[in-house]
Formats: sequence, structure tokens, C-alpha cells
Amino acid sequence: MVQDRFPDPETFSVGVMYECLGKRLSLEDLSDTRGHNHAVVSPDISRPGLCLSGYTYKFMYDRIQIFGETEITLLNQLSQQERADALANVFGFPVVCSIVTKGLLPPDELVSAAREKETALFLSPQDTTPLIHDLTDFLGEVFAPHVSLHGTLVDVYGEGLLVMGRSAIGKSEAVLGLVERGHRLVADDLVRVRKAVNRLIGTGDALIGFHMEIRGIGFVSIAELFGVGATKETQSVDLVVRLLDAGLVDEANRSGLEEKFMTIMGVDVPMLEIPVLPGRNITLLLEVAAMMNIQAKDTGCTSAERLNRKLIARMGRKRLRDKYDGEDSNCSQ
Amino acid sequence: MMEKIVTVPNKLGIHARPAALIVRSAVEFDCDVWVESPTDKVNAKSIMGVMTLAASGGTAITVSADGPEEIEAVEAVVEVIKSGFGEEMI
Repeated sequence: MVQDRFPDPETFSVGVMYECLGKRLSLEDLSDTRGHNHAVVSPDISRPGLCLSGYTYKFMYDRIQIFGETEITLLNQLSQQERADALANVFGFPVVCSIVTKGLLPPDELVSAAREKETALFLSPQDTTPLIHDLTDFLGEVFAPHVSLHGTLVDVYGEGLLVMGRSAIGKSEAVLGLVERGHRLVADDLVRVRKAVNRLIGTGDALIGFHMEIRGIGFVSIAELFGVGATKETQSVDLVVRLLDAGLVDEANRSGLEEKFMTIMGVDVPMLEIPVLPGRNITLLLEVAAMMNIQAKDTGCTSAERLNRKLIARMGRKRLRDKYDGEDSNCSQ
Repeated sequence: MMEKIVTVPNKLGIHARPAALIVRSAVEFDCDVWVESPTDKVNAKSIMGVMTLAASGGTAITVSADGPEEIEAVEAVVEVIKSGFGEEMI
């Protein structure tokens, strides 16, 4: 099955999590796919230590349970009966799934309790804290607010350019030109954008992959044609460029002095509106737009602002010169 | 040929934003349009040109046009300058 990099949170289950993270976390499934259909509904994890010791109030059973060294040592110190009782405290709840970390050997009672309750139990050789970080990073992305946008996302010198505009205006052709110049395609036509704190991260649809639809040619596989260096899995969205039919663009912004933004899920992304006219090299314009956005970030102001400041300074000097003309002949530029 | 003299009424003078407003107004008309400071004469349909005038507040500007819509063009550009571009006046 083709798996999206970020699975749909609506259908996210223990099985999907295992498929996505199994390798990265070196998970070993002790439950023979039992409980893989359990839905994972929360990006948080839980340490069941308190629950094992009898304090079951507010036990977060709907989170992934992490059995680290604390939990396993506690269980090992108990007698067989006490151990079974302690585990019953936890597995009396409909636990989503459990992970034993640090390559620790789970007591037999833990394995059998999980099997009996049809809930998945995984082993991982990784240390608890790094595993929790990896896991919450991934879950945080899965459950982050997201939106699907019609556009093309491309990495130009590390800057994520989201090219938007009505269909057939030439988004794909322009981006194909960028790929040909050595930039990297992230997603064509459909971009899934996730919000991570105050950044937007875009990725493509797993099925579409790195295919582009070019009118007159059909589907083009960028990864096969240009190589893996021409593609990228995920990319932040740093600049939105809207390609517009000439006439729809406000000519007042020719200087680039007025900054426009597009708000995506509450995040303001700088936006340019480029009128599409015959003979314009949109690819080149996109590349320059990306470079200027990088420069603006580095220097804290746009080149239009710098030019305007110089101009205003020159007018000020000229006014002074006019005023003192004749009085001080040395007052030149 | 049509021409009119107008004084730049805003404090900052014709910097980039006012220059863009002048150009937006001038390109609407089917004729050549110029703006002229005491030292320079430039095409009013070129944003770079209008900026190089470096016309500060209080400068007298001559707006001229030549072509089928010269009367409307001069009127429109003069109006834009007179408006002070929505900025602080002298």
C-alpha cells in the first residue's frame, strides 16, 4: 500500500503507526498484529508507572503507553501475583498500545496481559527519552492542523515556493523549468500543508508522488527523469507566488514596496502576484523571487525598501543643497 | 502637446510609492507622458525614471503629454500628485 508521509489522522491506527515508524524505532511486534486496528487519537504519550502502582485516577489509557526502565524495574520487583495485579490496573483500561524501551525484557505477565486484551505490545532497543522524542515528533506532525492546497511546491535554494494560480495558467510548466535548472520538486497540483507551531510544512500526496501533469505531454515522473536530487519529501512554505492573468494584478505594487501576505491556517506567508504575459520567463521570475525572499530575510528589509531609503536620503540632501545654494559650495553629494 | 505645473505637496516627495502611483495613472492613457523637475525630464510611464527625478516636497513639477489622450493624461497625473499620495503634507 502507498503510505503518505503523514497519514490521515482520521484513520490513524496502531498498524499505520507501526508501518510508518517500525523501522525508525526498530520496533519488534510481540502481539502478532493483535490490536493493530486500534485507533490512535492523541499525539501524546503516557508513562504508566503511577497506574501500575495503583493510582488509576486520570490514567491516560487513550495514549501510547511507554514502559521504560522505571516501569519494568517496578514490575520485576513485585511478586508474580502483585505483578499480575499491577498490570491489571493498566490493562483493565482499553489501552491503545504499549512500547517497552531500552531493549528491556518484558515480564511474561505483561506479554500475556497485552495478548489477552488484544492490544499491541512492541519492543524497541532505543532509549526511552530519544524514543519519546521521535514518537511525539511524528505524532505531532500527524495530528497537526493541515490543509490541502491547489498549487505546486518547489524548493529553490532552500526556500519553499508555493506557486498558485488558476488551472492552466502555467504553474507546472514554470516549476518544470525550475527543476530543469536544478531546483527540487516537492509536490505538484496538490500540496498538503501542515502547521508546525508557526511554520508551514508542505508535502505531496503519496500516490501522485513526484509526478507532474504537463499539458500535451501527460504525466512526467520527475524522480525518474531528473533523478532523486530533483525531488524533496517535505519543505517549509516560505513564499507564495500567485500567477495571475495580466489585468488582475494591481499595478500600484510595481515597486515591490507593498508587502502582501497569504494567511494559511493563521500563519502569514509573504505573497507575490506575478502577471502572466506572453514572452515572460516565469521560471526566471520565480527563481529571482526566491532569491529576493532569502535576501530580505537575511538583511531584514527588501531591496525595494533599501532603494527607497536611498532615494529619500538623496531628496533630503538635494533640498538642503537648494536651500544653502551659493552659501556653501562644498555642500555636494 | 499639453502641459501643467504642479507642486509636490507631501513631505517625503516622490519616493517609490508615489512614483508607482504616478506610473499607474500614466499608463492608462494612449499618449506619451512626461514629468519634469527643474533639472530632469523623464517618462511618466517608467517607475525608475520617475524615481530618479528625486523630486522632494515643494518641488515644482511640469507634467506634459503628447498624443490622442494628452488632455486626460495630464489632468489625471496632476490630480494624483496634488492628492499628496495619501501621505503627510508639508
